[in-house]
Amino acid sequence: MRQLIILLAIFALIALTPLWLTSEFWLNAVLLTVYAALLGQAWNILAGFGGQFSFGHALFFGTGAYCVAVLQIQFGVNPWIGFVLGGLLGALVALAMGFLTFRYGLRGSYFALVTLAFAEVFRILSNSVSFTGAGEGILIPLDRQASQMQFTQLSSYFWLICAITLACFLTVWWLQNGRLGARMMAVRDNEEAAAAIGVNAMSVKLQAIALSGFFSGLAGVFYAQKFLYLDPSIAFGPAVSVESLLVAIVGGIGTLFGPLLGAAVLHIFAELVRHVIGDEPGLSMAVYGSILVIMVLFAPRGIAGIGRSVRSVLKGTGDAGR
Amino acid sequence: MVVTKPKGRKGEEMTDKKHMRGMKQGLDRRTFLAATGGVAAMSAFGMPHIARAADPVKVGLVHPVTGFIAYSGNQCRQGALMAIEDINNAGGIKSIGGAPLEALLGDSQGKPDIGAAETAKMVEAGATGIVAGYASSITLATTQEAAKTNTPHVVDVGVSDKIVSRGLKNTFRLGPGYGKIANYAVDNLDAINRAADSPAKTVMIIHEESAFGTGTAGLLEKRLPDRGFEVIEVIKHANPTRDFTNIALQIKAAKPDLIIPAQYYNEYVLLARTLRQQRVEAAGIYSVLGGAASSFKFVEEFPEAANYIMDCNHWYNPLSKEALRRKKAAEDKGLYYTYEVYLAYNAVAFLADAIERAGSLDKQAINDAMASSDWDAHAMPYGPTAMIDGQNEGGQPVNTQVLDGKIEVILPDEFATAKPVFPTPKG
Repeated sequence: MRQLIILLAIFALIALTPLWLTSEFWLNAVLLTVYAALLGQAWNILAGFGGQFSFGHALFFGTGAYCVAVLQIQFGVNPWIGFVLGGLLGALVALAMGFLTFRYGLRGSYFALVTLAFAEVFRILSNSVSFTGAGEGILIPLDRQASQMQFTQLSSYFWLICAITLACFLTVWWLQNGRLGARMMAVRDNEEAAAAIGVNAMSVKLQAIALSGFFSGLAGVFYAQKFLYLDPSIAFGPAVSVESLLVAIVGGIGTLFGPLLGAAVLHIFAELVRHVIGDEPGLSMAVYGSILVIMVLFAPRGIAGIGRSVRSVLKGTGDAGR
Repeated sequence: MVVTKPKGRKGEEMTDKKHMRGMKQGLDRRTFLAATGGVAAMSAFGMPHIARAADPVKVGLVHPVTGFIAYSGNQCRQGALMAIEDINNAGGIKSIGGAPLEALLGDSQGKPDIGAAETAKMVEAGATGIVAGYASSITLATTQEAAKTNTPHVVDVGVSDKIVSRGLKNTFRLGPGYGKIANYAVDNLDAINRAADSPAKTVMIIHEESAFGTGTAGLLEKRLPDRGFEVIEVIKHANPTRDFTNIALQIKAAKPDLIIPAQYYNEYVLLARTLRQQRVEAAGIYSVLGGAASSFKFVEEFPEAANYIMDCNHWYNPLSKEALRRKKAAEDKGLYYTYEVYLAYNAVAFLADAIERAGSLDKQAINDAMASSDWDAHAMPYGPTAMIDGQNEGGQPVNTQVLDGKIEVILPDEFATAKPVFPTPKG
């Protein structure tokens, strides 16, 4: 319950940001941080709690993004309906991929490679068929009305992404404290042992991937409505997959707050580095990359892990070195 | 964030002194009092949109200076900075007291969302106008972001026709879009082929997968059969692609008379070199917006692979002294004078001209000035600017060909410096 209160307090504080932050640029930076936290938490559900490392979360993201865009352009469906359908289609594609991979017992690096391959297949498909706009991409017409899920104020986009991300984080909190989460963690820690005590590993993993796909799909819908343009590389390219896993890994896999911490560090820190380093092309990214390497080397359990280690040292339980 | 310091401090003072000399010589007491009274009144009541003489006019430059199209992005940035330097050296924006231009530099990293964020940052930092964003996908995002605040946005390179067809009142493009370029390319290819007794009948199109390559290839595929060309295959490749052996072998097997690439620079170079290595022979290579075929860098580094390649692309007016001056200035800075450089240069110069004519930093006034512009100091084969819905109707490509290590303009005739050599001589 303490975690839930902290979570709600943090999101309440984040939601207040537009009321005091006058800089649109920095508000946008915070928005992108919250959006990255959503991507990371969606990945975390499958990898951190379900134990299935995915390198292809762009598959679900792109499915959601294209779903809302194609429904609007080709069929005139309102994007708010597309928003729900985008999430559901993301979950459906995740279920289909999960079914095909889990039934053959693919795990670890094999599963990761298959997810990467699925995302690539979808990228090529969306590049080839005409209803997605193929390589030219798909442009959602500008129509800045809330009824069209397009807003004139950045703060409206901000609160929308806050709401979606909060829903994702609450789901993770529920998982942490519920039976499904316990089963997921049992499967993550030892699938055979979990099966021996009656956990249906296949069902648990499918539920994990569906939830993960659903929230990744919603992130895709948000991206499509915010930037109003998609092409196959944006939707299914590796950038989204990498961002999803990086945020969670840097923040702390399998933790409630890890993806939020990871997103904050990666995004806000990246901007600060660019401010300090200046505009020399690529130099800020080199510094940023070096610091990431240092973090992964010295804080392998992520930022959330550092907090735990510090607490352990203070309590004298002595697992800080692990 | 602001990298180039205002160049005009010293220059401004000089300009102001010149003005003062002129005033002393040419003004009577009554006119002087009226003018100073007007200035005093303006100061008292405030004119928020009129900059003080010392205030630089900020221009946001958003380009992909890192990532897979970093070379082109950097070329764009350099071209834009050259324009700013020239304008400042010439006295800045004279209608607002010789205010110098100041560049705000942004890196889109080749991603539309980052491009949009960088644009927002520029606008917030007080950019009067935006020049962006090289790739079409990025430009679609930057124009839209700038449109939220009605900030004038000049497109430097992005050729997708979607950029100027969305009704954004802040978006202007001097150069042609790929629709016009593809039509022009097909017409001229037909003319070149007929003049040589039609040796080319079959065509293969090789294009990159993003909006520019796909859109261009789609238009060519549609229009070439109307002119009697058979498109035997269209090959799309990813960005980046680092091995073109398979594609070269496919072309070799299909034996097309003409190979038409539509790619970014790196991929174009690799394809051309691989075609050479695999000894793929065709009547000609006819690029449309070929990233390298009209590049001095490519011609200098790979003269054999480049020889006889034709291109339909952006190009400066080779008969314009101003174009040759800019080319020399770029080369003196160690730059290749590629299309990115002069298109970005012109985008900034066009924006500066609009600010000059608007006489203020009011965004709507600048947009109006661009919409009604007849600017012709672009040193391009365009004629006077004529904007219709943000697109300069005078913008057109030219045909070039690499002949004996030089890039020559072969069409249209009024700008031509050589006759086309087609089909490619054997051996």
